[in-house]
Amino acid sequence: MAILQVIGVQKDFSGLQVLTGVDFEVGEKERFSVIGPNGAGKTTLFNIISGKFRPSAGQVVFDGRDISSLPAYTRARLGMARSFQITNIFQRLSALDNVLAGVRSRAGLRHNLLRRPHHDRDLMKRSEQILERVGLADQRHTPAQELAYGQQRALEMGVTLSLEPKLVLLDEPTAGMSRQETEEAISMIRRVTKETACVIIEHDMNVVFSLADRISVLHYGVMLACGTPEEIRADQRVKDAYLGEEEE
Amino acid sequence: MASQNAVLHRVGLALALALLLVMPWLLGSYQLRLFTEAVIFSLYAVSYNMLLGYAGLLSFGHAMFFGWGAFSFAVALNHFPGIPLFGAVALAMASTTVMGLVVGVLLLRVKGTPFALLTLAFNALVFAIGIKWHSVTGGDDGLSIACPPLNLGFTALNVSHGANLYFFTLVIVGAAIAFAWYFTRTAMGQSVLLIRENEERMRFLGYNTNVSRLILFVLSGALAGLAGSFYAILNSFVSLDAVSIEMTTKVLLMTFIGGTGQFLGPVVGAFFFTYVQNYLSDLTDNWPLIMGALFIGMVLWVPGGLAGLAAKLSGGRKQGDQDGTLAGME
Repeated sequence: MAILQVIGVQKDFSGLQVLTGVDFEVGEKERFSVIGPNGAGKTTLFNIISGKFRPSAGQVVFDGRDISSLPAYTRARLGMARSFQITNIFQRLSALDNVLAGVRSRAGLRHNLLRRPHHDRDLMKRSEQILERVGLADQRHTPAQELAYGQQRALEMGVTLSLEPKLVLLDEPTAGMSRQETEEAISMIRRVTKETACVIIEHDMNVVFSLADRISVLHYGVMLACGTPEEIRADQRVKDAYLGEEEE
Repeated sequence: MASQNAVLHRVGLALALALLLVMPWLLGSYQLRLFTEAVIFSLYAVSYNMLLGYAGLLSFGHAMFFGWGAFSFAVALNHFPGIPLFGAVALAMASTTVMGLVVGVLLLRVKGTPFALLTLAFNALVFAIGIKWHSVTGGDDGLSIACPPLNLGFTALNVSHGANLYFFTLVIVGAAIAFAWYFTRTAMGQSVLLIRENEERMRFLGYNTNVSRLILFVLSGALAGLAGSFYAILNSFVSLDAVSIEMTTKVLLMTFIGGTGQFLGPVVGAFFFTYVQNYLSDLTDNWPLIMGALFIGMVLWVPGGLAGLAAKLSGGRKQGDQDGTLAGME
C-alpha cells in the first residue's frame, strides 16, 4: 500500500514547463529519493508535494486521499512533514520550544486560549524525546540561533519529526555540511525514518545511494528512470544525463 | 537564582496589589479619578500591544474597538431600561467581538502597510457611523448615561464614581489585564509569537495562521471594547472622542512610550501618558506638541520604551528570557 502517489503531475510557470508529467509511488516505510541536475524541477516537485504550489495538472494522493488542492497546514495535520534546505526554525526560541511547536500542533493544541503548553507534562516529555532522537537533549534550553550549524540542521530535523509524521519530506538534508557532519546526518536520518516513509531530494550522490531504497531521476521535468540504487547506477541514460556531470 | 527571582517577583506583585488596594485612602477624589482613568487606559494599551508587540501587526484603528465598546455600552443602557450593569458591559463586549470578526475577516487578507492603512480607513468608517447615525449615537452631541447600580445580591452599589468606581474598575479591568498576561502563555498566545517569528514554518507545522491572526484580532478588539465601556462609566458620557483618530493616536503613543517589548510596557505608558497629559494640559493648550516631541524622541533614542529602559537599567534582563515568551518588536 503506497502512502504517497504522484500521478501525472505537471507544472508550468506562465508558460514555462517545469514538470511535464511525473509519476511515482512511495511505500509505507520506504525511503525514496529524487535526484537530478540543477533545474530538473526537483524543488518544484517537492513544493507541489508539500503544498506550497498546486500542480497545473495531475494529482498528489496521500494516504489514499487526493490532497492536490489542500493547503500546507492541512497536509501537515494529515501526517506529512517537510524539512527545509535552508534551515527554517524559530531562531530566537530554545531548541525545546522549537519542537514543542510541532508536538502541540500534533496534539491539537494550536489555538487554545486557556491551556498553557509549558505546563503540560505530556507535551513537554514528548518534546524532550524528540530532542533526544536528534541528539540535542543537552541543548534543550539553548536558543536555536546559538547552536552550531550541524546542530541547527539536527533541530531542523527535530522540528520536522515533532509532528510524528507518516511521511517525511527532506529537502537536501545535508546541504552545506562537512563530510563528517554528512555521515552523522545520514545515520541519524536512517535511524529516525525507520518507521516512516520518506522522500529525499538530494544533490549529494553519496547520501542518496547510502539512504534510499529506491531512486528516481528527474531530468528536465520528466522521470528518466526509477529503480533501486543498483539499477540506477547501471542505467545508461542516467549515466549520460546526470552521473557524468558528477565529475565536474 | 531563578527561584530567588521568582520570590522577588511575588513580593513585588503582592506589594503592588496592596498599594492598589489602599489607593482610595491615599488619593483625593480628583487624583483617584485620574488613577482610575490610567487603569482603564492600561487595558486599552495592553490590548493594543497584543497586536503590535506580540503579533507585529501595526494598526492605526484601535479606537474603532474602544469607541464601539463605549457606544454599545451607552446604547445598551439607554435602549434597554432596567438592564443590569454587567448585562450592558457584556452586550458591549459581545457587539465589539462581532464587529472585530467582521472587520477582521475583511482586513486580515492583507499584511504590513496595506493592513495599517486599512485599519485607519475602518476607523474613519466607524467614526462616520458615529457622527451620521444621530438617532442612535447622538452624533456630535454624544450620549449621556445613567450608570445603574451594581447589584451584588445583598446590596446594590453605586459604582459611577469615587472609590466604588475605582474598585469596580480594578477588579474587572484588572482581571482583563491579568487574562491578557495569562494569554501570552497559552497555546494561542505562544502560537501568535511563533507566527511572528516564522510564519512559513508554522503553516508547515499544521497551523492555519490566518485563523490565529483573526482570533487575536477579535480578542484584542473585545478587550479594547471593555476598556471603552469603562471609559463611558468613568465619564458618565460618551462622545465621538472615544472613536476618533486622536484616541487611536493616544494608544499608539502610550504603547510606544511604555515599550512594546515587555508585557507591562503599555501599562507604564498608559500611566505616564495620562499623568503627563494631565500635567501639561494645565500648563499649556499646546500640550499635544510636547507629547509629539516626546514620542519622536522615544522612538528615536529609546526604542525599547520606558519599560525596556527600566529593564536595561535593572541589570539587562534579556528580551524574552521568561518562559520563552518573546514579546518584542524588532
